[in-house]
Amino acid sequence: MEGLIVWLIITLVKILVILGIVLGVGAYLTLVERKVAAHIQRRPGPMVVGWHGLLQPLADGIKLLTKEDLFPRYGNRFLYNLALVMALVPATLVFAVVPFGPEFKVFGVEVKPILTDVNVGLLLVFALGSMAVFAIALAGWASNSKYALIGSMRKAGIVVSYEVVITFAVMGPIILAGTLSTYEIVQKQIEQELWYIWLQPLAFVVYMFALLAETGRVPFDVQEAEAELVTGFTVEYGGMKFGLFPLVEWYIEVLSLSAIAVVLFLGGWSPINIPFLGFVDPLFFLGPLSPFVWFILKVSLLFLFVLWLHWTLPRYRIDQITETAWKVMLPLTFVNLVLTAVIAPVLWG
Amino acid sequence: MIQWLVFLLFSTLAVVSGLGVVLLSNPIYVILALLSVLVSVAGIFFVAGAELVGALQLIIYAVAVTVFYVFVLTAVPWEKALKKDPFYRVEGLLSFPLVLLLYAEMLLVFLIGVSVSPKGQFREFVRQFGNTEVVGGILFSKYFLAFELVSLVLLIGMIGAVIIGRKEAQTYEGDTP
Repeated sequence: MEGLIVWLIITLVKILVILGIVLGVGAYLTLVERKVAAHIQRRPGPMVVGWHGLLQPLADGIKLLTKEDLFPRYGNRFLYNLALVMALVPATLVFAVVPFGPEFKVFGVEVKPILTDVNVGLLLVFALGSMAVFAIALAGWASNSKYALIGSMRKAGIVVSYEVVITFAVMGPIILAGTLSTYEIVQKQIEQELWYIWLQPLAFVVYMFALLAETGRVPFDVQEAEAELVTGFTVEYGGMKFGLFPLVEWYIEVLSLSAIAVVLFLGGWSPINIPFLGFVDPLFFLGPLSPFVWFILKVSLLFLFVLWLHWTLPRYRIDQITETAWKVMLPLTFVNLVLTAVIAPVLWG
Repeated sequence: MIQWLVFLLFSTLAVVSGLGVVLLSNPIYVILALLSVLVSVAGIFFVAGAELVGALQLIIYAVAVTVFYVFVLTAVPWEKALKKDPFYRVEGLLSFPLVLLLYAEMLLVFLIGVSVSPKGQFREFVRQFGNTEVVGGILFSKYFLAFELVSLVLLIGMIGAVIIGRKEAQTYEGDTP
């Protein structure tokens, strides 16, 4: 009975910590994005609210919350609101299988910094990731607006194409690790002293393409297309309801998919890797905190990379996007899969 | 205890949403009810410890299959989706014995399956090797032929879909003035 209570408390704490981190960081990433965008375009960005605009997300939040809640006259109110829930919940649930660091001991209790270490973690990530389609399709349909419907159909087409690609892209690391559990994959990379990016550069590139496409980042943000579609499937949403969709798509999903990329290709919480030789840890002075810092560092670097792309590239047309998915990315992942299946037994017998 | 509660929750949800699939009139609500059925069945699999099957249920049925229904329905005009078609009463009455027959068959297969299934023999394997490995091992040893046949059928289906999809493009090419 005591074990059950301890387990319940640990799980509850984990859930609260993960929710706090995800939603809090998600809100503050809006500021990061605006600052990075501003500096890429040689302007200062938000400077007025707080020191260098540090309180800007709070001001934005208050502004969005106090706005009038508009609703299209012939829309479907139930589905309109349900779409918000269906966007937020799966995106946040993905973090249940993201391992933040190695096992550690608190008050004599072993704690794994991962909410549930199910042995099919990766499958869950992609199942939940593609649940986003429902939210988008519903948001587009319930708004009863042509712009919203066109935007949501575009986005759904992109997500469906790239979901196939991303699933095949991650097969390489799965074959190398021999497991579907995210925690175990990182452990395997540490044991084999190899980040899988060194053997799977192709899969990593394809994964990054799919990440950009699924989260609706430039160059794949055609569902948004301000010039032709106003803002795609979010046209009819106002106030905080409007704020929620970019929060989920651009920040929470990018964060979760970057974390999964770090787990799959960049060795999770392990320090810098020299293939087959070992790890070099310039942050050794942090002691037991160093793995967590490494993990956060890698995820933020990937996130900044995505931001950099967003504010540098123009956008593709919808047919170019889906054609790239089916005619270029998918064959590439097949080639990568066959190569990995040949290489893996040679390397590890 | 907790397992029973969660099982009860998911099974009630599955039954209620199953009723919704049959009884609701707005097609979008029907799709959502179907999604709810599939997700709660996946939940039942997770409670039973069949994690791989649960995840596959989510990724194949709840996402891949249902998405295409949503695709079709978002292309349906708003007014058409709300229009209520009359129920097919005569057809429903005529097909009822067939439905009963199908249910009887499912029940029979289920009972036979329960009586001949190995009881607890695989539990040790599952604990030792993990869900995915055990399913893979059984699939590629005992049921290898069936597995290959199914993949052949899927391949044929895919080729058929491609051929049907291509035909239209060819007629357009012939029609150029």
